[in-house]
Amino acid sequence: MAADDRGIVIAPAGVPGSVEETGPVTHAMETVDMSVSYGSFRAVKNVSLQFRDHQITALIGPSGCGKSTVLRAFNRMNDLIPTSRVEGRVLFHGADIYEESVDPVEVRRRVGMVFQKPNPFPKSIYDNVAWGAKVNGYKGNMDDLVEQSLRQAALWDEVDDKLDQSGLSLSGGQQQRLCIARTIAVKPEIILMDEPTSALDPIATLRIEELIQELKQRYTIIIVTHNMQQAARASDFTAFLNMDQDRAGRVIEFEATAELFTRPAKKETEDYITGRFG
Amino acid sequence: MTAPRRHFHEELRTIEQQLVLMAGMAERAVGRAVDALVRNDIALAAEVVADDQLIDEKYLLIHEKWLETMALQTPVAIDLRLMSSVLHLLVTLERMGDQATNIAKIVKSIEGHAREPVILEHLREMGDLVQPMVRTAMEAFVQRDFALALRVPEMDEPVNRLNRSMTNDVARCAPDQEVLEWAVPMLMVSRALERVGDQAVDIAEQVAFLLTGEFQEFTRPDTESYDH
Repeated sequence: MAADDRGIVIAPAGVPGSVEETGPVTHAMETVDMSVSYGSFRAVKNVSLQFRDHQITALIGPSGCGKSTVLRAFNRMNDLIPTSRVEGRVLFHGADIYEESVDPVEVRRRVGMVFQKPNPFPKSIYDNVAWGAKVNGYKGNMDDLVEQSLRQAALWDEVDDKLDQSGLSLSGGQQQRLCIARTIAVKPEIILMDEPTSALDPIATLRIEELIQELKQRYTIIIVTHNMQQAARASDFTAFLNMDQDRAGRVIEFEATAELFTRPAKKETEDYITGRFG
Repeated sequence: MTAPRRHFHEELRTIEQQLVLMAGMAERAVGRAVDALVRNDIALAAEVVADDQLIDEKYLLIHEKWLETMALQTPVAIDLRLMSSVLHLLVTLERMGDQATNIAKIVKSIEGHAREPVILEHLREMGDLVQPMVRTAMEAFVQRDFALALRVPEMDEPVNRLNRSMTNDVARCAPDQEVLEWAVPMLMVSRALERVGDQAVDIAEQVAFLLTGEFQEFTRPDTESYDH
């Protein structure tokens, strides 16, 4: 469905074969009239989106439209920028993560993030995965956790005999899967991905996309991508953001991905995805 | 600033232009086949049969370009719907050429038989009706004109009526065995022209799909005399 004049969007209608056929629709994350500013510059405005549990939602739009800003608002990464300010509400299972009583570290544990460039620590593969769990005081069997996380990240079979080697010794695609394993190891509910394949070759990219499809069985995934074909291939829902004349990004359309890429409701969406602009 | 997919959109226009040329070839083939029948022109009928190869070659040329564009450009939204419609029209127009060939082959097969003027007049009339239908449907496609596309099924009604009456026309020839032998294949000619009318309606339906993203059946199945 399309956004109204203020950019307000509610969740799109159902997707055949998705969760609502077997149970009620629930949303892991929801924004209500969210705006994010850096100092006096409003980067995104009036963003209202609902992210379904165990579904993959892609955020697409031109450079500078604020899609990464929106993503970073979901685990309070913008807090690390001193001038940033978030208005409106960001609800995680119905609770506002910007309430004063909420610990941002706990938010980031439950809402994990994978970045554009693979950023393993200069430590062993094992320690890369175990690190977050150790910091969080994990009391269970660490070996099992590392194996389980690497298996879920589809990396175990490639590294099970070299867990003590440096994470930096892996290929780019393997490093990104290691970072996914590291994110999984602290048992998040949502995984945010900020252009996770832009630094990878086509085969490594397809492996990550395939992995994302498997991960959605366990996690809700929100992915920012500048690659529209990736959004089309890998996501269930897509939100298209664009810049207004005041350069603030806003949601133009939020729809099931198959619908958005075949019958977009807004001309602005159609012009962008078909390349008829400029 | 240059639109980022200018080259791709030029390719789409080229494919569309080739398709329009192919539609012209198919429509003319139908007209010439009916002319050959009405004027009993065996040479013209032979030309129609031979020229079907040109339509087939055009089909292959456009299809190759279509495949290449799909593989390399991964179209979406209205571009994807256009490519879907192009493929549908491509197959429809190739079959329209086949219908013209079928009529032309019948003309050759009944050479020398006594003919029945009322049947010939009805078939000529059907030919005169279906050609503008094809032109109108293609014009609606080129102009992206939904209202014009909706006129095509209306134009199809007299064609269907004439086709339904053809059985009686042929039955009236029963007393004269020689004329009857000529008349029975005219049922197939009538059927071929009725199919060309339906194909024009199919093209119009694709225009609606292209413009709205929803497939709409313009002709209700129960309005047809029999399945096709």
